[in-house]
Amino acid sequence: MQVFVDGNGGRRVAARLISLTVASGLIVFAAVVGGTLLGAW
Amino acid sequence: MRRPPRLHWLSILLGLLVLMGVMTFHAHTATRPEPVRHAGERRDLPEGTVALAFHGGPDPKWTPRVLDVLREADIRATFFVVGAQVTRNPELTRRIAAEGHQIGIDGFRAEGDHTGPLNLAFAQAALADALGVHVPLVGAPAEVDSGDRDFQDMGTLVRMSLRDRGGVVRLHDDGSIGADIARELARTPGYRFVTVTDDRPVPAGARERFTGAVTAWSQRNGGVVLLVFGTAIAIAALLGILRTLLQLGLAHTDRRLRRESEVEPPPWFAPPVSVVVPAYNEALNIAATVRSIAANDHLADVEVVVVDDGSTDGTADRARELDLPGVTVVRQSNQGKPAALNAGVREAKHDLLVLVDGDTIFEPGTIGQLVQPFADSGVGAVSGNAKVGNRRGLLGRWQHLEYCAGSNLDRQILHALRCIPTVPGAVGAFRRSALTDVGGVSDHTLAEDTDLTMAVTRAGWRVAYRPQARAWTEAPETVRGLFRQRYRWSYGTFQSMWKHRGALVEKGPMGRFGLLYLLAFHLLLPLLAPVMDLFVLYGFLIADAPLALLVWTVFLLIQTASAGYALRLDGEPLRPLWAYPLQQFVYRQLMYAVVIQSLVTALHGTQLRWMSVRRTGRLADAPGGTVHVT
Repeated sequence: MQVFVDGNGGRRVAARLISLTVASGLIVFAAVVGGTLLGAW
Repeated sequence: MRRPPRLHWLSILLGLLVLMGVMTFHAHTATRPEPVRHAGERRDLPEGTVALAFHGGPDPKWTPRVLDVLREADIRATFFVVGAQVTRNPELTRRIAAEGHQIGIDGFRAEGDHTGPLNLAFAQAALADALGVHVPLVGAPAEVDSGDRDFQDMGTLVRMSLRDRGGVVRLHDDGSIGADIARELARTPGYRFVTVTDDRPVPAGARERFTGAVTAWSQRNGGVVLLVFGTAIAIAALLGILRTLLQLGLAHTDRRLRRESEVEPPPWFAPPVSVVVPAYNEALNIAATVRSIAANDHLADVEVVVVDDGSTDGTADRARELDLPGVTVVRQSNQGKPAALNAGVREAKHDLLVLVDGDTIFEPGTIGQLVQPFADSGVGAVSGNAKVGNRRGLLGRWQHLEYCAGSNLDRQILHALRCIPTVPGAVGAFRRSALTDVGGVSDHTLAEDTDLTMAVTRAGWRVAYRPQARAWTEAPETVRGLFRQRYRWSYGTFQSMWKHRGALVEKGPMGRFGLLYLLAFHLLLPLLAPVMDLFVLYGFLIADAPLALLVWTVFLLIQTASAGYALRLDGEPLRPLWAYPLQQFVYRQLMYAVVIQSLVTALHGTQLRWMSVRRTGRLADAPGGTVHVT
């Protein structure tokens, strides 16, 4: 087995969930703040 | 094999945009434009009715005095506030509202700074954060100037304020004697005091309150973000300077020691050598590779073992068709490069083994040079000098510069520190006993050459560098190909570092210098360096453009000079140096992306497979010109 490779897939699932959460959070954040300010524009 | 992670790129892009936004907003709030009075529509009030309108606040020193006077006199006034001041003094803003005064907007950073819709939105956001309201009153109407900015005499000020016997009277609560004037006006008989309008603030929506919280946080903490960025840049700059100094100092010392040893060269060492060539789908290059090896001028026997690792393009047939003496071709099912190397080593009959990729061209003297360090029985492996054989395009030139200024110069430093972490697959030699000591070539990483070299060093063998042993390799000719190759190298290097992390607590040089060198310059520096690019961009667009240009130019000059020195040390012409400044715009960023992608892949635990690079067979810059054989 190669170094770093996640054998049972648990780490990969957790990492993808974290990645998805961070990306979604940032999208919502950017949409709310950017939308509010640009809406005023 | 799973798809490599990609979503993090969106997060990184958005994250950087947010950080840039925070810094930009912070810089925006730190500048204060000249106040501009906009004469609004006239507000007709009955005679004897006065609306006191305070501007420029809230101010932590003066506004409380005004509020105290108004409370004593039981007067409700109107405060045209400045958004940035509201964020600086939210408690004071809340006191103004709590004591029943009307709040209007004067601007975001100064009076009149509301004509741009974005600044008005910022001011509303500041009030939404401090008070949770949206204010309909924007900009003061036509006013009677109290003269509080120009005069001190109270009699004059009162006369000026009441010259129209009523109306909206302009005062300031940001450092004038507005409170004293208000007290005198309140004492003047025959006047009634009202607010400018009857409009009341409306509750702000959740989005506006959230935006207000974000802008307020940015205004207050943008400096901290700037400091973090500055620290990252300082670390990156220090690492960059340290690397340049190490490169120049150690490489120079190493060369000097070599020259001294050349005055009285040791006897020429000419042991028999086996050359192992693992190849997978290298039909375009294999003939040129094998021919160049067979054309060696080594003074002892050289056998060549080509191991075709299950190629589907007739690589083995191409090698056999050459019908060269001393060349053996072995075929195996596709098992990966480490297995092919191990098979070749088993097949080889000599104790010194040169391992070479199937896309590499040797010079006649390469093998002879490569085995010289083995005269020292403590040397277990020797790295040769890999050179880019296709330098015609911009990408080829960039890689050529990187091979000279990066890899080879690094190798000279690490040779001086006795901890070369990689004997490149393109040109390297191993003592059979060293390979046996570490159990052969492992398939635990995608950078089997780095893994093997680290293992050999940890087993107590010395690893030498022989710059005269030149080999010419085909560099990727597309950005995609380059990314794939470097992704594998970088990920494989991290795998090797992690696998051999135990070296950090061992006595050998790999842990003391090698791993720390890789950690500092192959992980930390590439991760921090993008911050510097971003900061320069921020400097150009937002802050001090000439200063940013100066800093960037100085760094570029230092790096270009360092690259020029590396070319000279390697005996290369300086002509390709013109492409170095251009490297800063695409190539460098690509290298950062590779490191970030590798790190995220490691965190995800994704299994990567060997990513082959499309071969063209064009090695026009290798000795002998075009060696394209099809």
